[in-house]
Parts: sequence; structure tokens; C-alpha cells
Amino acid sequence: MNAMLEKVKPRTNEARYGAIRIDDVVKIYDPEGAAVMAVDHCTLDIKAGEICMIVGPSGCGKTSLLNAIAGFHDITSGSIHMDGEMLCGPGKPKAEPGADRIVVFQNGALFPWKTNLENVAFGPMMAGKLSKKEIHEKARAMMADAGLSGTEHNYPGEVSSGLRRRVEIVRALMNDPKVLLFDEPYRALDSLTRSVMHESLLEIYYKNKVTIFFITHDLEEAIFLGHKLVIMTSRPCRPKKILEVDIPHPRDYSVLTSPRFRELLEETSEVVHEEARKSFAAGEKEG
Amino acid sequence: MAMNRITKIKRSIFSRSSLRAIIAIIVFLVLWECGSRSKEWLGHSLPWIGLVPPPSAVVLVWMDLLGDSGYWESWYLSTMRVMSGFVAAMIIGIPLGLMMAVSRTFNSITFPTFEILRPIPPLAWVPVAIIFWPTEELSIAFVTFLGAFFTVVINVLGGAKAIDMRFYQSAQAMGSSQWDIFRRVVLPATIPSIVVGSSVGMGITWNVVVAAEMISGGGGGTSGTGGGLGFFIWNSYVGGSYEQIVVGMISIGIAGYASSELLRGIGGFFTPWLKTR
Amino acid sequence: MEQVEQLLKRTLPFQVVSPETLGNIAGISQRETFSEGDVIYSAGQSANDVYVLASGRLHHAITPQVNAKIHEKSLNAGDVFGWAAIFEGERIRLADVSCTEPVEVLRIDGTKLLDLLRRDRNFGDAAMRSFSQLISQQYYLPPSVANRVPSTLAAPATTAEEPGEPAAQMASTWTLTMYRAGEWIRSPDPYLMMIGFMLLLGSWYLTVEVFKLPRFEDLPGLTTVVTEWFATDPMYGLSIHTSEYYQHVWVSIRRVAIAFLLATALGVPLGLFLGWSRTFREYVFPVFELLRPIPILAWVPLAIIMFTGSETPVIFLTFLASFFATALNTMLGVESIDESYTRAAYCLGANRWQVFREVIIPGAMPYVFTGLQISVGVAWFSLVAGEMVSGQYGLGYVINTSYTMVRYPTIIIGMVTLGIVGYATSAMVRVAGNYMMQWRLREMALGGR
Repeated sequence: MNAMLEKVKPRTNEARYGAIRIDDVVKIYDPEGAAVMAVDHCTLDIKAGEICMIVGPSGCGKTSLLNAIAGFHDITSGSIHMDGEMLCGPGKPKAEPGADRIVVFQNGALFPWKTNLENVAFGPMMAGKLSKKEIHEKARAMMADAGLSGTEHNYPGEVSSGLRRRVEIVRALMNDPKVLLFDEPYRALDSLTRSVMHESLLEIYYKNKVTIFFITHDLEEAIFLGHKLVIMTSRPCRPKKILEVDIPHPRDYSVLTSPRFRELLEETSEVVHEEARKSFAAGEKEG
Repeated sequence: MAMNRITKIKRSIFSRSSLRAIIAIIVFLVLWECGSRSKEWLGHSLPWIGLVPPPSAVVLVWMDLLGDSGYWESWYLSTMRVMSGFVAAMIIGIPLGLMMAVSRTFNSITFPTFEILRPIPPLAWVPVAIIFWPTEELSIAFVTFLGAFFTVVINVLGGAKAIDMRFYQSAQAMGSSQWDIFRRVVLPATIPSIVVGSSVGMGITWNVVVAAEMISGGGGGTSGTGGGLGFFIWNSYVGGSYEQIVVGMISIGIAGYASSELLRGIGGFFTPWLKTR
Repeated sequence: MEQVEQLLKRTLPFQVVSPETLGNIAGISQRETFSEGDVIYSAGQSANDVYVLASGRLHHAITPQVNAKIHEKSLNAGDVFGWAAIFEGERIRLADVSCTEPVEVLRIDGTKLLDLLRRDRNFGDAAMRSFSQLISQQYYLPPSVANRVPSTLAAPATTAEEPGEPAAQMASTWTLTMYRAGEWIRSPDPYLMMIGFMLLLGSWYLTVEVFKLPRFEDLPGLTTVVTEWFATDPMYGLSIHTSEYYQHVWVSIRRVAIAFLLATALGVPLGLFLGWSRTFREYVFPVFELLRPIPILAWVPLAIIMFTGSETPVIFLTFLASFFATALNTMLGVESIDESYTRAAYCLGANRWQVFREVIIPGAMPYVFTGLQISVGVAWFSLVAGEMVSGQYGLGYVINTSYTMVRYPTIIIGMVTLGIVGYATSAMVRVAGNYMMQWRLREMALGGR
């Protein structure tokens, strides 16, 4: 058990992998001849180990960008590179989904028919490189590290939603991913649970430095968590304002009341609100 | 706008999935034809399929039957029986299901009894129905009624019980009376499951009618006025006209499908809020 | 009174209870007023009452001995406090509560409240769960405290806050069943159920045998059927003491079993592939849909022509009905799987086959078992038809020949036996389903997500 913990710990050093370069990406949906542009010439640079928060109104096309990186959808033009290697681009419109980029889904996607431990062990079990015993040992150690001891043999449906989110993040980290892609994971949680989840996410992040690509429509969440803030225009989405959050990490909840946080919030909320209004108006027209 | 709609329709007709469906059905018919004619072509007939008449022969026989008034009378008789049994099941089943949903006491009294009778297949009631009802027509209608009745009640009850508690609470908070709650919350919220229940019930009804007609007209021995598509099939079998059996089967399939679609259409009319944009 | 109910309805734990229980709770609530600076209770006192704040503001300070994430809190109208009064075991106040403004509260006796909630069979559980949620989420207390609210199902109230805290103690299925059985006996349900049965049997007995109403008198009566069924020497040759009776039952069960197993073995894989592969579905499903509207019983003559003997046609019919139900429901099951599950599996490095095995098959299971239950039902349905028209032996055959040979009581014996056997087989499928889907059973016991 202790030996296992030793193996988990060294990941604390700075991340060297997981830099993402999004270059002039366009995504057009064409379901029934009516072309809808979701992503419009989007260019973005994310450094290795950075928390990049993508803020935009609901349905603005930010999820299309995430799906392109994860390899769920193709892109129409442009390219996406990770650590200099092309994920998708000219001649290869769709990236291969793989365990180096793992998505944490909006409503959670722990398999309800597997126990928490089996869920956490899922990735390595699929890779089949280690024995089941080794994998379960590592899974237990990682779960203990994230404060999840005692829930190993519960099914996800039996534990609170906050706990489920944490299990899902541990399940992702089991695979030593280079990038974690969050698709508004805390949207359905109440604000109190959400604030606990934010701190616990940062806690996990400080132990395992990975690149985080985090989609949200909650500006406070974005400023609190992120190194970098990308505010998107409403559909089609394109970066409207990119901002480095200069509040030093590690952060905790006192940041929320700091003057710098308030300043950043004021600086950005006007831009976000304007886009939200545009998307609302557009949505009404569609309906 | 009009052009756009036409291109959309064209797209859906010539889309990959419809093309594949057409290919699949053609392949199915060709295989059936070849299988049925295996005796002529291979010298010995294939098992099972070799005994079934080929589709081409079925179509020819069907063409002849289209001008036959007896064939259309079978349609009419079966449809009337389905309708009478089905309508009776709706008239009795829907209020019963709603009462069971609304009143706990009534539910506790009737539901266990209901559950005890439900596993008995409707067709097992045929002899009892014949003994009890004065005419054969009534006994067929009764068995048909039973077929749809249980399904309708279960669906109505399930639908009314699944109503979100918040609807009741908000209606109460707005000062609605019990009757108002029933009429404006319970009833509309149950309509979708009434629609589902009735379309499932309709399917069972056709099943039961066919069987009841076969049993009473054919196997049962007491040949009465009979008639109907089930009787048509059974008669064709007894008369050795195998093509007519297949014609009868397809006819019942069409009738069942059409009545389910009709019900779905009516249901859609009553539940406009379920339509997605 | 009305006002009290309105207030209770706005609070978290009482929102969920039935209107009846709400009225009863309002009945035991007492209004009380306090002025600024008053202490309502302090930590260490014994806790008898639960309070709801009706107006004003309170200061709520949890004693440092308890490990709360946040100790101090101010309460507003609609907040519930004093929940220690419904704890299991020792009921001691864990906080000091004082008034920062003049306040009005509702005082509810804890023991009586618990009693009322226990009596609310539908929503009492939810209310108690809501209490433990309140304790952990609004008062930031660890599960060790929140779990002291007695929960009839022993549902765990876990929150993410407490690392190392055992998250959930699961009530075993057995305790759950026992609890339900006990509740059922104590409720009026069993007696009402007996009334229902009495009404059915009584009207049968009276109309047929006592009053001999027209038409009814032709039917076999209750006593005739019962005596015949249990007679050692039955008048019409079939009772529980004759081996022939069991032979018919056995033949029917065997036919259904063969048809059902065959339909499951072929229908489940077909349904899985139909749901999983779009190409396969686009080619095969139209043919499936072409055949499906034809009522199973319309196949009877064709089945007799296609298959020799009297056994195979009946089994074929039974199989056909089950097969369509199973395949269709399995396909719907695969389609119902949330796309994020398959995406998550691909993300975690699973290949297509692994996704099929680890996600598609277990994900479709709930629907598969629904399908199997329908499948058993329709199997009996078409078996009876098949046996009545053709075939020898079997319960459908018994019913039909008893009619033609005027052995009326035997018809009813056949029908009742069919009902019992049919019910037993579908119960078996349900039990098998629950056994194979523990995860779903547990999730549902906790009221789902």
C-alpha cells in the first residue's frame, strides 16, 4: 500500500506535457442542409499545466471545441495540436479519442453498474497492461488520497453527487492524462456543494499538475479556478477577450472576497453579459 | 420556403437510411420468393420456407380478392369487433384507472383483485365468454374488451401515479379545489399514458380478435355467423388456399398498423405540449 | 392553521410530505414568540422540540465539540432548527440559539413528529432524508451527525466534506423487505385487499349459485369449481390429485420455457446489435418492422403448414411473440444509454469491443429485463391460443376441450392454473433481474438520483 502511494506522489512536480494549440479552427454543423457555424476561426494557446477557463453563454459552441479536442466530433478546418503533435487538422478531421485527454461530463458519466472502485479502475483495466490486483491497489491508493476511502464498494447511485464528481476526476487521473477536459461539470450542483467542489478540484490539481480545459458559464467559478480566462462570443464562438488571472496559486476561498477578484469580476462581467444578451435574443428568434 | 420543404422531403426519401430499408425489403422478398420456389428450381424444397407460398403468387391472389365482396366484409366485421371491444375498454378502463390513482382505499380494494385476474390470458376466457353471452358476437367483443382493458387500466394508473408531486403542491398553493386538481392536473398529466396504453391495447385487441374468430369459427366447432379476417385465414387454411392465408395475415398487419397510427395521431392532437419544436 | 401549513410547506423537510401529514404536523405545532436577546436553547440541554422560524432572525452557533465546517450561522424565516430532537438515541442540543430580533417560531414535539413521519408511508422517508441533507448541507455537519436522523431505510446521507468518513451503510435487501412487510401489515391495505377478494368471490358465488341469475346460472359456480379442483375423485377427470393435471401444466411450462429461452438467446443479441450498429439497424430493422404488425396469432395456420407435428407449431408461435418483445426492448435499451457513457469509455481508452462489453450490455440490462417480463407474458398469451387451436395437452387445450365436452368446472380450473403459473414465471424473471442488477436495486431503494 505504502509503496503504491510512493508511486503516486512524484506527479507533484510541474507538468511538462499537455500544451494545446488550437489554430484557426472552424466547425460547421450541416445536419439538413442548413449550415450552422458553431466555432468561427478560433485560435487559442494553452500552456502545459495551465487551467484554462472557457466562459460563454449556454449553447455558444464551446462544447464543440471540447468535443473536437476529445475526438468526439470532427472539425471543418484549422488544426489542433497537443505537445506539437497534430490531433486533428488538414487530412485528419477527427481526433482519436484516447486516455491522454479525458472528459469530465456535465451530468457525470460514472458507470452506474460498476462500483466506485471498478469505475476508477476502468481505464487501466481496458489498457490491460497491469494485473487486476495492481490496478485495484493503485485505485484504492488514489481514492484514499482524494478522501474517498470507504466508498470503494458503493455504487455511484448510492453516494452524493459531489462525491460522484470527485470519483470521476480520480477515474480520469488514474490514466495519467495530459489534459482534463471539463464540460460544465458542476452545473447541476447547488452553490454550496459547488464551492466545496472547487476547493477539492484545486487540491487535486496541486497534487497532480495536468492541463485543464474547463468550460463554464459561471464567471466567478472561472476567475476563482483559472490561470487564464477566455471569454467567448455567442454562436458562432470565437475568443472575444483573453485574460491572465494574476491571483497567485494556491488559492482558497478567501480569494473570493479579495479586492483583485472583485476588480477582475467587474472588468469581465460587462463583456460576458453582453454576449449572454445576444445569445438570448438569438435563441428567441430560433424558437 | 416551399422549395426548401420539397428539398427536405426529397432528402429524407433518398437518404441513406431509406435506401437501405428499400434494399433490405427487396432482398427479403427475393429470398422469400427463391425459398418458396426452391422445389421448382432445386428439385427439392427447403425446410420451412419451402412450404410457404411465394410473394408473387400471394400478390396475384390478392389482386383477385380486391374485387371480392366477402374479403371486404371480413375487413368490416373484424374492424367493428375491434372497435366495440376497444371503445368499451376505454370507457370502463380509463375511469377505473383514474379512480384507483385518486383514491387509496379504492386502490387497495381493487388492485390486488385486478392483479390476480390479469395473468390469465384473454383467450383463456373464450369458452366462458361463449357460455355466458347469448350471442357469439357479444362473446368475441367481450374477449376483445378484456384484451385491451387490463393494459389501459395499468397505463392510466401508472401515468396518474407518476405525476410530479410539485404539480399537486403548486395547484394547491394556488387555491385549487380537489375537483380542479383532478380536472386540470391529474387528467391532462395522464393523457400521454392513456395514449400509450390505448395504442398497446389496440395491438392486443387485433391479436385477440383474430384468435377469437379462429377459435370460434374454426377450432371451437360451434360454427356460427363467424366472418372476419381471422375466420378468413382459418377458412383459407381449411380450404387449402395457402396464398389466401398470407393475404389475410398481411391484411391484419395493415389493419393493426393503421389503427395504431390513427390512435397516435389522435393522441398527438390531445397532447400538443409533447410535440418538440 | 392554514397559515401554519403554508409556512411548513415552504421549509425543506416538510415540502415533500403528503398533504395529510402536513395537516397533522400543523396540528401539533405551537406558535411562540421571543424578544431580542432571548436564548431559545443552548448546547448540552436535552432536545425535545424541532423549530421552524416564522419571522425574525436568529443566531445559531454550533458547539466547538462537534466537527462542523462552519460553526456560526444566522437563520431566517423558513429555516428549520433544533433537529437534534428527532435524533436516534440521545437527544442533546448541539448549538446555542439566540434571537437577534424579536422572533416568532413554530415548536413541534420531536417524538410526535417522528411518529407522524413514520406513518406517512409515501413521503416520510423522503422527509427524514431531507432532514439529514439539511443537517449536512445547511449546517455543514459531518455525516456522523446527519446520519443520526433515523432513516427507515437506513439511507446514507453522505456529503463530500468528510474524508475518511464511511460513506454509506447499505440496508440489506432483506431488512428492506422485512420493513416493507411490517409496514404493509400495519396499514389498512391487507384488510381492504381481503374485501376486494370477498367482493369478487362473493358476487361469483351469489350470482351463480344462490340467486341463479339468468345467464349466470350457466356458468360453473364457485363451490363446484373448488370441490372439483380439490376432489380426490373428480367428476370431470381433472383435479390436484390426478396426474393428468400435472401433465398438462408440465407440457405448457415446457413449451413456454423452450420458446422463452430460444427467444432470449436469439432476441437479446439481435437487439444489442440492432441498437449498437447503425448500419445493421438500417438494413435489418425495416424487415423486422414489416413483420411485427402481423398479430402473432395470425401466424397459426402458417405455422401449422410450415412445421410438422403438433408440438413445433405451438412452440414456434410462442417463440415468435417472445422474440419480437425481447429484441425490440433490447434495442430500445441500447438506444436509451446516455451517449456520455460510451464517450467516457472511449476517453478512458476502451476499444469498440470493450465498449460493447462494458457499457452497451450492462447499460441495456434494465430494458432487457423489462423486455423479458413482457416476453414471458406474451409467451403465455400466444401459447394459450396455439394450444386452443392446435396441439395436444397443455392448459389451453384443457380449456378448449373442456368446453367442447361440456366439462365446465374444468375450464375455470384451467384458467386459474394458467393465471398462477403465468404469474409465477414472470415473478421468476423479475427476481432474476433484480439479482443481476444489484446496482439498480440499490439506487432505487435510495429513491434514485
